[in-house]
Order: sequence, then C-alpha cells, then structure tokens
Amino acid sequence: MKSRNWRQLPAALIAAIFLLPLYFMVSGSLRKAGLPPPRTLELLPSPLAWGNYERAFELVDIPRYTLNSLLVVAFAVPLTLLTASWAGFAMARLSRRPAGALIALSLIALMIPLTALLVPRFTIFKELGLINTYVPLIAPAIMGTSPFYVLLFYWSFKRIPPELFEAARLEGLGPLATWWRVAMPLVRPVTVAVAVLCFAFTWSNFLDPLIYLFDQEKFTVPLGLRALATLDRTNFPLLLAGSVAATAPVVVAFIFVQRYFLQEFRGVGWLGR
Amino acid sequence: MADLRFAGVRKDYGEVRALRGLDLEVADGEFLVLVGPSGCGKSTALRTAAGLEEVTEGSIHIGGRDVTDVKPAYRNVSMVFQSYALFPHLSVEENIGFGLRARGVKPGRARDKVLAAAELVGCEQLLERKPFQLSGGERQRVALARALVREPDVHLLDEPLSNLDAQLRVYMRAELKRLHQNVGTTMVYVTHDQIEALTLGDRVAVLNEGVLQQLGPPDAVYRRPANRFVARFIGSPAMNLFPAERMDGSLHAGPFVFEARPNLPERVEVGVRPEHVRVDEGDQGAAAEVQVVEMAGNETYLHLKASDSPLVARVGADVRPPVGSTVRVSARPADAYLFDAETGETLS
Repeated sequence: MKSRNWRQLPAALIAAIFLLPLYFMVSGSLRKAGLPPPRTLELLPSPLAWGNYERAFELVDIPRYTLNSLLVVAFAVPLTLLTASWAGFAMARLSRRPAGALIALSLIALMIPLTALLVPRFTIFKELGLINTYVPLIAPAIMGTSPFYVLLFYWSFKRIPPELFEAARLEGLGPLATWWRVAMPLVRPVTVAVAVLCFAFTWSNFLDPLIYLFDQEKFTVPLGLRALATLDRTNFPLLLAGSVAATAPVVVAFIFVQRYFLQEFRGVGWLGR
Repeated sequence: MADLRFAGVRKDYGEVRALRGLDLEVADGEFLVLVGPSGCGKSTALRTAAGLEEVTEGSIHIGGRDVTDVKPAYRNVSMVFQSYALFPHLSVEENIGFGLRARGVKPGRARDKVLAAAELVGCEQLLERKPFQLSGGERQRVALARALVREPDVHLLDEPLSNLDAQLRVYMRAELKRLHQNVGTTMVYVTHDQIEALTLGDRVAVLNEGVLQQLGPPDAVYRRPANRFVARFIGSPAMNLFPAERMDGSLHAGPFVFEARPNLPERVEVGVRPEHVRVDEGDQGAAAEVQVVEMAGNETYLHLKASDSPLVARVGADVRPPVGSTVRVSARPADAYLFDAETGETLS
C-alpha cells in the first residue's frame, strides 16, 4: 500500500503543475480590483475581493452568454457523439481496403488547419443566410466535429471482437440496433472522453462565434470575456473573475463524468474469450 | 427442426477458393461433425449456412427452403462461436434472452424461456453474473443456452470446446451429446479434433482444401477411409504409410510383406494403423530399432525404424522396450490399407 502511494507521487506532481494556472486564475480573481498580477508567489490574496465576480457579472451578461454557450453545446455534443460514432462504427465494419482509404482521408482532413477553411465556410453560411445564427457553430457536429473523434470511435469499435457483431446479427439485430445495443455500451469510456473533449472544444471556441455572431445577446462565453477585456482592459482581477466563471462549467462537467473515464469492462470477459 | 443441405456450394475469398462445390445433406435431428485441418473450409461452410458469408456459387437449403439469399436472422439457425461471443456488458440472463428481446418476445414469456434454457444446460445459478465472472466451462454453457433458447431449426457449433482444458473438454463433450439427445435438433459441429468428431457425430464429414473427402458414420470413416488423406487424418497416432514395391508376386511395404492382389495399379502405397503393428521380441517379423518410447498412461507409443522406414506402433502400457533395442514388427494382411499412389484413393 505504501509503495503504491509512492508510485502515485510523480503523477500527483505532474497534475499539480497542470493545476497551477487554474489555481492562479482563481486566486488572481480574488485580488483587489485594479491591482496588477503579483510579482511574487501569492498563494491567497488578502483581503479576498469577492466583489470582482459581482462586478464582472454587472459589466457583461455572463449568465446569458453561459446560457448561449450551453445551448450550442447541448446540440453540438450529442450530435457529435451520434455522427462520429456512426462514422467510426461504419468504418470498423468495412473490409480492410475501404476502411484504410477512409482512415487516410480522415488523417488528411485532420491535418488541414481550421483557419484555412474560414473563408470558404463563411461564404457558404453567408450564401445560406445562416450568419448571426448558431447553425455555423453547430454544423461541424454533423460531421463529427473533428476527424479525430471519428478515428477514436473507429479504433474503439475495432477492438471489439467481430463475433459479437455476428452474434447480434444472428439474433436479429440490424446495423443500427447493433450499434446502439452492442457497440456503444462497450465503448462507454471513449464516448465520455469524446463528449468531454467536444464540450471543452465547443465551450472554448472563440474564432467561430467571433466570425459568425454579431448580435451581443447571441454571444457565447468566450466572446463575453473578450467584451469584458474591452471594457476594462487592465483590470486583471476582473478579467480573471470572468475567466473563472467561464471555466467553471467545463470543470464541473469533467468532475461529473470523470469516473466513467476510468471505467472499463474488466477481465477476459471483455473479449468474450 | 429441419434438415440442412449444401448444394454445390463454392466460396471464394479473392483468389483463394475456400469451398469447391460442397454437396452435403444433414438429416433432420442429426448430429453431423465437420472435421478437417486448419484452412480446410469447415468454418466457412458453417458460416455460409449461418448466412454470415455469402456463397459464390451454389445454394443452401434449410427445411427444404432455399435460404441462400436470406439474412442470418431469418434463417432460424443459432450459432455457438469458438470464443462464445457473449456480450460482456450484459448479465447471463440478458445474454441468453438477447435474441428473444430482439424479436420482441414479451418479458414474462422471455424469462420463462431463459430459465428453461439455463436449466437445460445447468447454468440457472449464474443468471445474475456478467461473462467476466464466469469460468470457461460456464461461459460455454451460457453460449449453449443462448443458442437453445430461440428453439432454432439448426444449431451450428464452431469449435466450441477448443478453448477448454483437456479434462473439461471431455466432460463437455459428453454434456453436448446428452443435450443433443434431449433436444433432438439438427446440429452441425465444426472441429479439427478427430476425437471430438468420432465421439460426437452421428456422421462425420471430412473436409480438405474445400473438398468433401468422406461422409459417413464415425466407425466407417475410421475403418474404411475413402482415401489416403482420411486414413492419415483420422486416427491418432496417424496411420503408417509406405510406398510399396512389387517383387515375386508380393508387395514390399517398409518392413512388411503382403501378398499382391491382382489388378493393382502401377504405384501403390500401403497403410497400417499403429494399433495394428504387432511388436514381438522373438524372431517373427522384420527387425526394427526402437528410437523413442512414449508413455501415454494406458498405452505406449513406440517410434521405430525398420528397413529405413519410420513407423509408429501403439502397444500396451506394459510393453516398454529400451531405446536402441531391436524388436520384431509384423502386420496381418487384413489390417493393411492399399492406396493408389497417384490418386490417393483407397483400393478395395
């Protein structure tokens, strides 16, 4: 037991390094308004200026932006899970050659920088009259948001022994029912991982809302933070308070689902062997 | 219950021809064993019957109905896989009842059927467990129960005992036989293990390179092999085979000399099963050097060398000549099998 604790020490240290910026964001948000960031290590400011949060919420409509972001996420994440898992499942069930071609295509698509697609995408959405709506923010989810998510599902489904799908076929299940009743329950940790990644990506997406949204009441959280920065450019505690408010939902979501990350069907039963 | 018929079934995987015009009829209620070496096409035949593989040519009939183009779910067959293919996220009860749920059977009725199937194979105490909590034998029973619960016309079993240890395999073999006697459904069982084939099957079909070599009761396949391949494949240790030379009206095959029958082809091979090799320490028969002595509990296998020909003899447990010693070997003419060396066919 003792040696097990020691083995966890490096992991704890690495986790601490990654948690430091988060910690300084929270402690910085509690510094007195108008103060610059501390030059020395300050674990906890004194006194704690909770008013920064009040002020940030007064200056910009953070609850509205949070609701807007939640609305986008509520559509984008389930849609991404649906389409990415369908695509991954279909690829996993294909024979080697067409599956290989689709993997290559996904990898090529993964290498195209998002900024290279900004102009053509903007033109398309403008022609369709969808500018200043949430459709351009949600639309990538129809294609699984990222080829990476499709590949993650593909590799997970590929790990499942094909006899399970054949058994399901013999028992009378069609492809869609097999996907839902056999494949998806067996890749639950990957589904949760993709959901969290997609949630974090969509929640923190700054570029797309900046390009496609003009009305302030439609802004998402990252745009709201930018508005806060514009209003009071040098008030770092205020900006950090806004950042904490923007980050909190992602952290809460992660804490809520993290136990599923580590859950895996154990033992030889996994492969049915 | 129904019969199963393969009519000229050919199956190609690109350039590879797995089945070459298979014609085979499995009678209603019969337990037929498909046996052959790895890659002989036996699993392919089973998968085409299940509908998991499309046939390239020919047709498959179940209960007189042509099911060649019918989807697996509508053929009313069940399959037990080598790996059992139990759904790891479902309990034993859910695994057994999976097909019933998929077909919309009401929960109450489904539960009754699941219980009945579980009792039939003796896994009713495992219903709440998940597959990873089961031993190999228990998983095997659950897979059988899942196959039985839908009461299909034909059961297809793809090497279901190969993942079990030797002791459990012998036990489950008997259980399978008992199960077939109880349910009486047509069963097609694929194995590469000739002992399983001979002990389980009402009839045995021997396949090699996608071609049916022989079909018949186990005893007939063992005692009257249709050709050299069947003779060598069925029986352990394998039949001793010697090219024969004709001299002065006799056939000289390794250490053995038999009287030559009339009308034999130009080139002949002679086979003698290890249990038919008589080993004598006297002066009857040809001299053979003992090279290896294998103890197998109730019998002994002697690896011998006689007239520059290696041969194996199966003798009693108490016959253990020292390695390097010389023994005398002989065989009765009635125990010799003659094969056409060109075609491999048995010469009657």
